[in-house]
Amino acid sequence: MIHEENAGKGSAVNAVPVAKSPFTHASTSAQAAAAIGAIPPVLKEFNCPLCNTLSYSLNELTKHYEECHPGSVVPRIVVLNINGKDCEVLIEPHWTLKRALQFRLGLTGAKHMCDRGVCGSCTVIIDGRPVLSCTTLTVECEGKAITTVEGIAANPKWKPLIDAYCRWDAMQCGYCTPGFVVSAKALLDRSPNPTEDEIKEALSGNICICGTYPRHAQAIMEAALKLETEG
Amino acid sequence: MADLVGVNGQREHFRVVGKPNLPGKVSYALATGVAKFGIDFVVPDMLHAKILRSPFANARIKHVDTTKAWQLPGVVDIVTWEDEDIKNLGATPFSFGKRRPWLDNIAEHEGAEVGVIVVAENLDICEEALRLLDIEWEIMPHVIDILRGREEDAPVVRPPELQDIPGGLFTTPPDENHPKRGNVSFAITVQGDVDKAFQEAENIIEYDLKLPAFASHIPNPPASVAWWFDDPYEGSGKSLHIEGAVQRKDSIGAMYGMPPNRTVQEGIFQGGKYCDWGMRRSQEITPLLAKRTGRPVRMANTREETFDFLMKERYMYLKVAYTNDGLITAVDDYSIADGGTQGSSSFGTSGDQGYGPYYTLRCLNIRQQMEIVDSNRGKMYLSGQHCPFNWDAGTMAIYLIAEKLGKDPLEIASINVHGPTSQEDKNPVPSFEACIEAGRKLMNWQWHPARGKRLPDGRWHGMAFRYQICPRHAFSGYDCKLELRDGVVHLPTQGPVTGIFAVECNAMVVAEELGLEYDDIKVDFDYREKFTPVGGGSDGSTASAWAMKECANILKKMILEAAIDEANNPPPPSLFDFGRPKEPSPLKGRKPEELDLIDGRVVVKDDPSIGVPLAQATRRNLVATYSGRPPAALWSLGRGKMLDTMNTAYCEVAVDEETGEVEILRFGVVADPGKVLRPTSLESQIDQVMYFSQGCQLLEEYVYDERTGVKLNNNMVDYRKPGMLDVPPVDRQFLETRAGNAAYGASGISHSLANTHLVIIAIHNAIGVWVDPPATPDKVLRALGKA
Repeated sequence: MIHEENAGKGSAVNAVPVAKSPFTHASTSAQAAAAIGAIPPVLKEFNCPLCNTLSYSLNELTKHYEECHPGSVVPRIVVLNINGKDCEVLIEPHWTLKRALQFRLGLTGAKHMCDRGVCGSCTVIIDGRPVLSCTTLTVECEGKAITTVEGIAANPKWKPLIDAYCRWDAMQCGYCTPGFVVSAKALLDRSPNPTEDEIKEALSGNICICGTYPRHAQAIMEAALKLETEG
Repeated sequence: MADLVGVNGQREHFRVVGKPNLPGKVSYALATGVAKFGIDFVVPDMLHAKILRSPFANARIKHVDTTKAWQLPGVVDIVTWEDEDIKNLGATPFSFGKRRPWLDNIAEHEGAEVGVIVVAENLDICEEALRLLDIEWEIMPHVIDILRGREEDAPVVRPPELQDIPGGLFTTPPDENHPKRGNVSFAITVQGDVDKAFQEAENIIEYDLKLPAFASHIPNPPASVAWWFDDPYEGSGKSLHIEGAVQRKDSIGAMYGMPPNRTVQEGIFQGGKYCDWGMRRSQEITPLLAKRTGRPVRMANTREETFDFLMKERYMYLKVAYTNDGLITAVDDYSIADGGTQGSSSFGTSGDQGYGPYYTLRCLNIRQQMEIVDSNRGKMYLSGQHCPFNWDAGTMAIYLIAEKLGKDPLEIASINVHGPTSQEDKNPVPSFEACIEAGRKLMNWQWHPARGKRLPDGRWHGMAFRYQICPRHAFSGYDCKLELRDGVVHLPTQGPVTGIFAVECNAMVVAEELGLEYDDIKVDFDYREKFTPVGGGSDGSTASAWAMKECANILKKMILEAAIDEANNPPPPSLFDFGRPKEPSPLKGRKPEELDLIDGRVVVKDDPSIGVPLAQATRRNLVATYSGRPPAALWSLGRGKMLDTMNTAYCEVAVDEETGEVEILRFGVVADPGKVLRPTSLESQIDQVMYFSQGCQLLEEYVYDERTGVKLNNNMVDYRKPGMLDVPPVDRQFLETRAGNAAYGASGISHSLANTHLVIIAIHNAIGVWVDPPATPDKVLRALGKA
């Protein structure tokens, strides 16, 4: 039996997506867009998280729970707006948004680092504010606009920001970088010409163990100039 | 030394090498989040696995009953150490001779993986199943305080069956002359006549210091996903696909009898390692679990499970003899070091002896005696970002002698650092002198004694200095390949991508040698390729770039020969020959040695206006290979006794005597990497090691509960790393003496600037008392007698 991380056949997690070189802005932007595009808007199959039995509706899954797992909390569907796209997601109530993004939607730009809301690697933007997805419950996110790094990468408007990050090596191992990019985008949304101090303040919740801190201000200020020029 | 052996090692003009702000070849993948690390992989039909972690600091499972766990819905498999599959599991990389089973029933520290693995439909079920195990533990005494552990009446913590198992290549070998006593192994090295030197000494100083334990803290928690699949191209039987074991996929394949061609891994992103190269169990076991269950299996460490050691605790007692001029004549180093658990690396213990700071001195009488104490504190897998080698014990000696003699430590260092060839070479190596001279200017260096300067705001000003060698590692060979395909130069590599921009340095060198631009070099990542640009951290980029330089010149020769051959014997036009020149090639009748590659064109050397674009010069697909490495680095040949390129670091602090708060006003670094290949990443790597140094001297420290042996702060809340608002400015300056023997005289810097006591010495220079790292405000106040 094929099951996809208990998500059902409608899940985006139906392949082994591996980033392919060459890694240009165009190619990576397209890969990010493809990841978003692969998210199905409607779920058609529902695997039981406890025993992997396949159902074809939430009602059927609920009935399966009553029969086979009485007393267990039945998963539920939430509708999330991810990068401008509404999609149904089957989750258990305790699932964090980070977990749903990775294991249900196939979006892995938000990274698992500290898993307790101190490092910023899993940052996403919810209704305009940078939010830590590792400490945000998915069920709290219904009806809110969620932007992930994939959404930023896929949007040509933000090419100057990505370009500047790459020109300035505002990354080493690169694991925390998407979290910084998301925080930077949230900053530029509310403050298009930030000072160095504003940048430091805005990014102070992001930890880079490789120590790229000075590079971010350089990159963001360069990007801000270009964004302003390009309107 | 210099790059005297390699082609164009003495090149004077650079167009590409040394250029800033060239985007990394994978940077767009990282910045956009499309790069996938091991922990990111999610595949269809995937199961999850977890290993039991010990709640006790030293314990043994006597018996485990898995009945209740098996009854939990969603549990697919449970494996214990007694299972034949585990007993038969092949050796992990670097294991030789008698070895410890891959999993057994002994836990040598709290959080150690032990005894049981659960595989289930999801992670929650795994955790619940582990809680349902009915385990009978035998709890044994533990040692967390290594000073207590070295005492004769301390409990012997390492079980008998683990006593004589070597942990691998980088673990402490037994010292036949000094047999183990209790928890304590011994390692002793002696050069010269130390006792006589002390008898004849004009002055002697004695001091002690403590090197703190420091967390590994790999940004991406180790993880892997593995599955088995039918590969029609490889015949019958299954092939292994594993993601998350970058650069070690073949070693892990070998654990399961899989040759490299049957072990697939497409991911190239390794994440930060900081020389913590040891594979974790979560990266090794998924193939077995996938084989047993017939489904893909994922295992990931949590953040809490990723707090291993990048540096182990060590107490040092130093006695140093010196002349009235400040020349060091004898060094006696007695250390008590944490040996950690079985299999811990010998870096930080015996592996630090016989080379290092003392051997950069003209001093010929050096003794290093070390007690290595088995403990239940944790494990250091391989090496660490903090160049250990007890380097800052030497830094402190120079500082203290300067204080005693009322001299500038730069002056004392200059008296003591030997020349390039040996410890008896009296003139300091030119690279050192150049760094010192530049450092004085960079820092506006005006030395003052301890408690000698107060800032206008009332805080005490402190300053410190240290030097280091640039230890280019010379252990790796490189199998390079370059292809000219359809007029485009390709550099195929398996990666990995570790964050040191190694492949970029290689691409820059190739572009330089072929008269192309950096963007002209296409890097093709493919796990089946042999070339890996690392090997010795960031120094690997200078060494691999040397080999790639040779390869580029082989390709260049092939291109020029092919261009002449095609100019003289033009191939017949084909149906698809759009855009090919119709005119005879201007290269016709020339000889290859008359040609060059300049600005993307094959041109006549004597008249570069005559030529054709590379893409038109030859239609052939050409493949050049080169296997080799640059001459062994002086550092490794001389084990520190021969010197080529050096670096220096400086620090200024302000200390508030009322609050105990220490502010690093700035770091300064003057470094001579021989030749700067890629300045943007080199600058960032300097920042990195200085922030690492800041962290371990001001913030970071493992805290244990002595009674239970439980590590209390293995999370990023309680174990703080420096953040954006914490870090001071780092003023950097690079020199290029071309004295290394990798590409163009480069030697790299690696992490040799990372240190444990530069800030600590600056604090002493400010307030006149020693504070052990990390110098938190409470410890500063305590040292001042105020708390």
